Amino acid sequence: MNGNLDPALVTAVLAAVENGLNRALELAPETRAQLEPFADDVFALHCTAPTLDVYLRPGGQGLQLMAVYDGPVTTSVRGVASDFAELAMAKDPAATLINGQLELDGDSAPLLELRSILAGLDMDWEAPLVSAMGDVAGHQFAQMLRATYGWGRQATASLTRQLDEFIHEEARITPPRLELEDFYRDVQALGLQVERLASRVERLRKRLHKLRP
Amino acid sequence: MKDKDRTHFGYREVDRDAKAGMVADVFHSVASRYDLMNDLMSAGIHRLWKRFTIELSGVRRGQAVLDIAGGTGDLAARFADIVGAEGRVVLADINESMLQVGRDKLLDHGRLGNLEFVQADAQSLPFPDDSFDCVTIAFGLRNVTDKDAALRSMLRVLKPGGRLLVLEFSKPESELLGKAYDAYSFRILPLMGRLVANDSDSYQYLAESIRMHPDQETLQEMMEEAGFTRCEYHNMTGGVVAVHKGVKA
Repeated sequence: MNGNLDPALVTAVLAAVENGLNRALELAPETRAQLEPFADDVFALHCTAPTLDVYLRPGGQGLQLMAVYDGPVTTSVRGVASDFAELAMAKDPAATLINGQLELDGDSAPLLELRSILAGLDMDWEAPLVSAMGDVAGHQFAQMLRATYGWGRQATASLTRQLDEFIHEEARITPPRLELEDFYRDVQALGLQVERLASRVERLRKRLHKLRP
Repeated sequence: MKDKDRTHFGYREVDRDAKAGMVADVFHSVASRYDLMNDLMSAGIHRLWKRFTIELSGVRRGQAVLDIAGGTGDLAARFADIVGAEGRVVLADINESMLQVGRDKLLDHGRLGNLEFVQADAQSLPFPDDSFDCVTIAFGLRNVTDKDAALRSMLRVLKPGGRLLVLEFSKPESELLGKAYDAYSFRILPLMGRLVANDSDSYQYLAESIRMHPDQETLQEMMEEAGFTRCEYHNMTGGVVAVHKGVKA
């Protein structure tokens, strides 16, 4: 249960989010179709700070968000809100799920697949725009939106890549990821070598001790 | 006349035999504008109360659900979606007008196949023992003359392990909220009833019947006495409404 929160309040928030998500899914029929195989799955998201339990049931009709569910769940994830946000934004969600602070119970594969489907949500604004503005204006406006969205996505990706290159390669503010991983490997190898050397020295010290009269 | 032959109709004491007819008159009068008035009176929050009740019911595909005092079919429609074609939902109401409005509304929305409509008295449900996985009664129990008999009847028709959900107005948790709620119920509600449904008396009865309804703890005890186990309740909107849950062992 959701702490001391009034169930009506929690239900109102979940209903609003569910409504928003399902409106978005209506504009992305391909994504909605991809949710159909999950019709028998329920995902439990237990947020410990703030205290909030959400049960997510996908299906061909969209997503259903519930505050209570007493049946079996496919995957249960527990953690604080920032951990969930990290998982939602992660480039590599599997690594985040394994290495992060989230506690996982059940099968992680359907959860990761669902996250990937929702992350790839590609809405088609043409239908609602055409019904609101008419065929010609709606189509033109939708095309403009598509071009702007595509340009925005490309520009963001390009900017991120260039900023990454500048920080790591040109300004050398932080080392690149591969270099850092290489460094960690070297440190680990050095640690092992030192341990081996220490035990060898210890062995020699014992042998020397035995040889002394 | 003996006390056991008398019961409450709002704040008035009436003959037990007369109450059902008087309640029927109230609902005959409000049936056509029931949904509109519900939305106006609760500012749409009744949809959230019902939604939480449905979540709490744990109803799944293929199950059988009985929605008593189902009125205009808000719960039954959602249950029909959940149980699917292989499930069964019975919308029962003692009041012919309410049942007709509910049936017309659901059929107009294309809901048929797994839905049945039955005019039935909650005190003596016309179904075999162990018939349903879940029984719900939303904003209906307070209008029943013999609530204990109704609870026993619901227990009888539930399958072992089946759940009863009673969604009903209850007692606000805070005194301040209680006072605001009283002012709203006795001043604004009848006025709304007069303006929208041209019937202030029915909404005066609504406010009075809510005050005469057992509070959260009392209703839980009544459910336990009727034979339900694992009884619990959840207050909503500060206790203005509570949903009670009990399980048939």
